Amino acid sequence: MSRNDGKKDSSASTFRKIDVDQYSDNNFREEDADGGIGGPTGPDENEILTLLSQGKNAEALISVLRSAPLGCKNQQVKDNARNLTLKVLLSIKSTQIDDCLGQLDRDLLDVLMKYIYRGFEIPTEGSSSHLLTWHEKVYNISGVGSIVRAFADSKRA
Amino acid sequence: MSGTLKPYLAAVRRTLTAAMCLENFSSQIVEKHNKPEVEVRASKELLLTPILISRNDKEKVLIESSINSMRISIAVKQADDLEKLLCHNFTRFMTMRAEHFIILRRKPIEGYDISFLITNIHVEQMYKHKIVDFVIYFMEEIDREISEMKLSMNARARICAEEFLKRF
Repeated sequence: MSRNDGKKDSSASTFRKIDVDQYSDNNFREEDADGGIGGPTGPDENEILTLLSQGKNAEALISVLRSAPLGCKNQQVKDNARNLTLKVLLSIKSTQIDDCLGQLDRDLLDVLMKYIYRGFEIPTEGSSSHLLTWHEKVYNISGVGSIVRAFADSKRA
Repeated sequence: MSGTLKPYLAAVRRTLTAAMCLENFSSQIVEKHNKPEVEVRASKELLLTPILISRNDKEKVLIESSINSMRISIAVKQADDLEKLLCHNFTRFMTMRAEHFIILRRKPIEGYDISFLITNIHVEQMYKHKIVDFVIYFMEEIDREISEMKLSMNARARICAEEFLKRF
């Protein structure tokens, strides 16, 4: 009597689980990963460390921000860049921050803001309070815009 | 220690202000549904970069944002077992009464002590700057509350011990 007495029918209900939406043409697609090779490899560690040891902190900062691998899909490369940028940020003293920021343009300030937020993810002794100082100074220059761009940019630091 | 509290709260306040740009957005998957995208995580393009602000390795705030909702998760400083216990009971008390706090999430995100979920409806019905003020005030208060509870608990324990030892 019932419509579903055959075994065949009940097992055929798996079609309900198929995600038909994945075949839609309107779906959002991320740009293809560059696979790590051929893509940006991030800042040159030796160069930055040399600049730091020579006391050219501002140049080191500019260089590390310019070569930031933002469009890269390889998390390892990003993490390396993050660690290096954090090292540069922490080696600049609070009194020198204003001078360094004066030499950066708008785009680099946005990149810097992204790295400040990334730096909060690995707190070490005293690093967070120093990054908070950085955050405040960058905010004073570029305002809420660079925070919004850190949130919304698909090119994550 | 307390020297970093002010810049910490200032940074959180600025980030919250920037993140709280929410608008109404219907579900892309189910017709006539309207869900907080930050919770359902159904489509990647609607989620923004999650941002973490830390004061030290114990105290941090995670701000996850999306087109129609945002989630703020707070990890509270817990120096010893007593503070851990007090914090747990305090947050439990709050989350059991979550509907009175409107934006409080019933369950904190893993790794954090308490979470807020703010949707576009909250931002439409309440003032945005007041919501930010509330979260900041909450962060200030919870630290103070826990250290006060700890002090009063120690004082009470001392009185109890004195009364008990009077007999001998």
